[in-house]
Amino acid sequence: MGYAWAAGATITATLVALGLDAYFHVVNVALVYLIAVVLVALRYGRGPVVGVSVLNVAAFNFFFIPPRGTFHVDDPQYLLTLAMMLAVGLIVSGLTERVRARARAQADLAIEAETERVRSALLASISHDLRTPLAVITGSASTLAERGERLPPEERASLAQSIFQQAREMSELVTKVLQMTRLETGAMKLERDWGSLNEIAGAVLRRLRDRLATHMVMVDLPEDLPLVRMDAGLVEQVLANLLENAARHTPPRTLIRLRAQVQGGELVVSVEDFGPGLPEGDLERIFKKFHRGAGLGLAICRAIIELHKGRIWAERLPGVGTAFRFTLPLESPPALPAEALAQ
Amino acid sequence: MSPTILVVEDEPEIRHFLRSSLRAEGYRVVESPNGRRGEVDAGMHKPDLAIVDLGLPDFDGIQVIRRIREWSTMPIIVLSARIQERSKIDALDSGADDYITKPFGVGELLARVRVALRHAAQPPAGKELAFGDVTINFDARRATKGSDEIHLTAIEFRLLACLAKHLGMVVTHRQLLQEVWGPTHAEDTHYLRVYMKQLRDKLEPDPVRPRYLLTETGLGYRLLADE
Repeated sequence: MGYAWAAGATITATLVALGLDAYFHVVNVALVYLIAVVLVALRYGRGPVVGVSVLNVAAFNFFFIPPRGTFHVDDPQYLLTLAMMLAVGLIVSGLTERVRARARAQADLAIEAETERVRSALLASISHDLRTPLAVITGSASTLAERGERLPPEERASLAQSIFQQAREMSELVTKVLQMTRLETGAMKLERDWGSLNEIAGAVLRRLRDRLATHMVMVDLPEDLPLVRMDAGLVEQVLANLLENAARHTPPRTLIRLRAQVQGGELVVSVEDFGPGLPEGDLERIFKKFHRGAGLGLAICRAIIELHKGRIWAERLPGVGTAFRFTLPLESPPALPAEALAQ
Repeated sequence: MSPTILVVEDEPEIRHFLRSSLRAEGYRVVESPNGRRGEVDAGMHKPDLAIVDLGLPDFDGIQVIRRIREWSTMPIIVLSARIQERSKIDALDSGADDYITKPFGVGELLARVRVALRHAAQPPAGKELAFGDVTINFDARRATKGSDEIHLTAIEFRLLACLAKHLGMVVTHRQLLQEVWGPTHAEDTHYLRVYMKQLRDKLEPDPVRPRYLLTETGLGYRLLADE
């Protein structure tokens, strides 16, 4: 590719130089070729630059140095011109190569620094999120183990209960961290199959019925939603995450609405809440890992949806509230057995 | 006599709390720390139910399940870690009746154990099934919901019968497809989506939030009679 450009540059330079030839001295015309060298050097590495330099020298010699139309050089003065052209070409290529290497090194450093920053933010956040439940578990468990017999039964039960609950939360966090790592390293493979969003929604609402009991959940799913090729387990997780988030970040008895519709070859699924709403600036930021409050949940959701070639975003609802929406591409589902069609 | 439960699990701490909670419920408990022992203990003690961990040190829990299935229909519940989705399906396809994902609360496990034991004690006759205000008579091929007669197709009856045979427990996509449509359709999960929707529309009080015909996402379905 670079060599094709090198040849093109020499040809262009020669045409321009031939145009100028009538008005300017041959030595000045040679400068046109230097521009060609610099332009090629800006885009390509050493090889094409050396190539264009050599071609330039040859073309200049052939077209402009008397006797014209030959590679013969009569006047030794022109030998110097040719040598200079070649030398300048080589120097320029060396210079641009070095500049380019430095830019690359800087970019690598920047990426490394960013990875490091994300990693330490991740660790800091995880250890912070683990510290509280661990403190509760250690404290409650040691109270039970060392002082248990002196406590009234209801006190013992409530300490045990809080160990149970904190351990659950820790386990959820650990699962999320593991999953994020697997999503990021590409170790997560989609187990795609024809699935039904209605079914997934039914399963999620059942699984989360205790956590969503504080809110009013309205389900608005068309009867005839098409089947989608997806990893149902992962999409269920996205839906669960969005519903849980809506319940966590809005006051009790707020209305949460789960909707879906087909739009332009995609299934669009929305979880809308009629809570206080998000500030405009947070709509994108909350999908970042360990943005305050969102934890890993939304970052995982985004990774899962993007693996499905869909999109996920948050938007403010007119008036109050926030909508989280994601899309899943639709494909034409396979044929059904005859009995189903007959109905 | 109180039922005997075999626990095949390598982690002593997990066996510890399983033992105390199962004994507190009045079950006899036999513990095996690895797969080989588990196989031997299953033959020796003839337990009423087995709880098998999928991550055993010597060989796969799935192998234990297959060996037990060679001679016994005792209910088997598998314990699996979150990252073992695939082996969970394999375990169920190999004959396990139900699963529970680690970490779990003991309440969940005991509920599964109760369902499985009840099921083993009185296998559904395959004639009558009732849940909510629905009654199904498989022999007469009749279904009613409240006082209404409901028309079910032949396939819908077969699907329901297959779920009823494992009442309260998971039936995998593969098991359902093979039993209802035959082995050549073992991968056609989209059939199930369509037929389960039809069944729910006909039988569930609120098809959007099913109470009886439950989805086990990525695994299969579970028919729950009244809770």
